[in-house]
Amino acid sequence: MRKSGSEDAPFLPDHAGFWQAEIVEQCRLARDTYRIRLHAPELAALITPGQFVMLRCPELRDPLLGRPFALYDTIDDRDGRPAHVDIVYLLKGKLTHLLPKRSAGQELEVWGPLGNGFVPPSRAQHAVFVAGGIGQTPFVALAKELTGRRRYGRPPRVVSQATKVTLCYGARSAEWLAGLPDFEAAGCDIRIATDDGSRGHHGWVTDLLAELLETADVDWVATCGPEVMMATVARMTAQRKVGCHVSLETPMACGIGACFSCVVPVKEEEGGWDYKRTCVEGPVFPAEQIAWEV
Amino acid sequence: MMETTTDPPAVDLTVSIGSLSLANPVLVASGTFGYARELAGLVDFSLLGGILPKTITREPRKGNPPPRTAETTAGLLNAIGLDNDGLEHFLTHRLPYLASLPTSLIVSIAGRSIEEFTEMAGELDGAAGVDALELNISCPNVSGGVDYGVSPARCEELLRQVRSRCHLPLIAKLTPNVTRVDEMARAAEAGGADAVSLINTVSALGVDWRRCRSLLGNGLGGLSGPSIKPIALRCVWQAAQAVSIPVIGIGGISSLDDAMEFAVCGASAIQVGTANYYDPTLAQRIAASLPAAVAELGAHKWMDVVGKLQMP
Ligand SMILES: Cc1cc2nc3c(=O)[nH]c(=O)nc-3n(C[C@H](O)[C@H](O)[C@H](O)COP(=O)(O)OP(=O)(O)OC[C@H]3O[C@@H](n4cnc5c(N)ncnc54)[C@H](O)[C@@H]3O)c2cc1C
Ligand SMILES: Cc1cc2nc3c(=O)[nH]c(=O)nc-3n(C[C@H](O)[C@H](O)[C@H](O)COP(=O)(O)O)c2cc1C
Ligand code: FES
Repeated sequence: MRKSGSEDAPFLPDHAGFWQAEIVEQCRLARDTYRIRLHAPELAALITPGQFVMLRCPELRDPLLGRPFALYDTIDDRDGRPAHVDIVYLLKGKLTHLLPKRSAGQELEVWGPLGNGFVPPSRAQHAVFVAGGIGQTPFVALAKELTGRRRYGRPPRVVSQATKVTLCYGARSAEWLAGLPDFEAAGCDIRIATDDGSRGHHGWVTDLLAELLETADVDWVATCGPEVMMATVARMTAQRKVGCHVSLETPMACGIGACFSCVVPVKEEEGGWDYKRTCVEGPVFPAEQIAWEV
Repeated sequence: MMETTTDPPAVDLTVSIGSLSLANPVLVASGTFGYARELAGLVDFSLLGGILPKTITREPRKGNPPPRTAETTAGLLNAIGLDNDGLEHFLTHRLPYLASLPTSLIVSIAGRSIEEFTEMAGELDGAAGVDALELNISCPNVSGGVDYGVSPARCEELLRQVRSRCHLPLIAKLTPNVTRVDEMARAAEAGGADAVSLINTVSALGVDWRRCRSLLGNGLGGLSGPSIKPIALRCVWQAAQAVSIPVIGIGGISSLDDAMEFAVCGASAIQVGTANYYDPTLAQRIAASLPAAVAELGAHKWMDVVGKLQMP
């Protein structure tokens, strides 16, 4: 029951900062889905795919706390230096309904980079991403990194290139599919599933993964989205002995390890399980470590 | 609002809690600041009056199932359930770092029985770097322990027993979830507490009517944040009227004005809680702004503004 590893957990907020970031622009990507571009050069230089930031409207007491959002991508200035951070958000509750009303020039509070992010294995030839709904957001930057189109972090980290990157993307219907041109530009082979069959496969996104696992040599799977989907992906990859990482979405009050609200049950080496904080020990975990049944 | 352009006036900010002298009255509340190490990159600990790490129990506790927090209007519901690795792990893994920080360290403990409390207090008594103990007899999210916070007789007995086993200054952390908070404060004082701190979270419930479910994995939770400040001010004022030991004010503090409101209601020190989650440097900025605010009331000492409230 000892939180093994937690005392050795990396103190990620050591490398994080708090900023007032000006909104550069916003645009609508799909139904209820927007991209917001923030001017945050320091953050843009530091952050890597799969890490996240906390966003908050300054001076407001309602919503009170920050909200976690994954890095979508970073954008360079004219001199080729990272200058902006892109976040893609789905309208959900208090903060996300306020955000579209904020315009360019207004400021948001942002803190990050937070969390561990994805660390792709060194021998991944064919990487497959399985995304459900807004769970697609971490994969544009990761695809760009794996296909050698962009580098992230300071100093820019070195990631061994994949020869193929496939995105399996599931949504309720076609109108919710967001950022497809970005995934194309990132070098992804895109496969789509919709619940209503309005585009791509009529059914589960995990059906697309099953087909790939059957027909292709898949070396590594990364997944983000609804928990049932991720648990299914974890089970399917475990059966095939394919390495799999999940990026978990838990409610977070602080994002920096201070509140112990963001926990998930993680299996312990010595047997049993214990709650771990997704904000500092995740949000990315090896799929086999999650005790899905708890 | 909190920026001062002129040099801060010379104001004495020190506060005594029993034998402990705090450099200034601004503390960070237990459970809202991790074990301080998490905040190291963001906060200048030397500017704080003191740190209260997350409550520890004798044995490790897994804590409550998620979701453990949910935001409400200007507030936060939580039911963490005292998730911690236990006293032994604290002593070996957390205390060395905490003890090295350039500020006072007040360790928060919770027990299910008088024996657990006294045993922990006894072990922490000799531990290097521990300046005081806060007895958490007010956590609404676990069974046991909170009994000492709702029964004056049991509260007094607990303090008496812990006092007999431990020389450190003792702070009793009280719950607002009682009819007479002044009686609880009096009982803590009678038992030998050097101070009382209040309030812990307000027992509360949030629901999702569409799913007919509670917002929290534990069902009930505790409310914190700006929405509880008026309740906390009332409790602090009542406690301060009832006892002669220092009262430490907690509840919804998110600005310098909030801190000063607690001071005039009778709080000799304050703890910043939920606000740490979105503004970890708030406490140090409040501390830096206090001299000007104290001077605004024509005082030269923080303690001279404490309890200045004139009630009709
Ligand atoms: C590591 C991480 C990365 C994330 N990345 C992204 C991302 O890239 N993009 C993104 O869009 N999201 C992302 N999320 C999720 C995002 O943080 C939440 O959706 C966000 O907190 C919503 O904030 P809000 O203020 O709009 O909702 P809140 O008001 O905080 O709502 C909180 C919860 O209450 C529920 N809720 C709110 N209003 C209603 C309502 N009217 N009816 C029913 N239920 C309701 C919602 O389901 C939600 O789960 C991420 C989460 C994590 C942990
Ligand atoms: C997520 C969370 C965890 C908490 N954990 C503890 C704890 O372990 N021990 C304790 O004494 N109080 C705990 N508290 C209560 C706070 O210390 C404080 O008394 C309360 O939140 C009111 O202050 P605030 O409104 O400034 O947050 C916790 C509060 C929150 C929000
Ligand atoms: S969100 Fe606070 S500890 Fe993870």
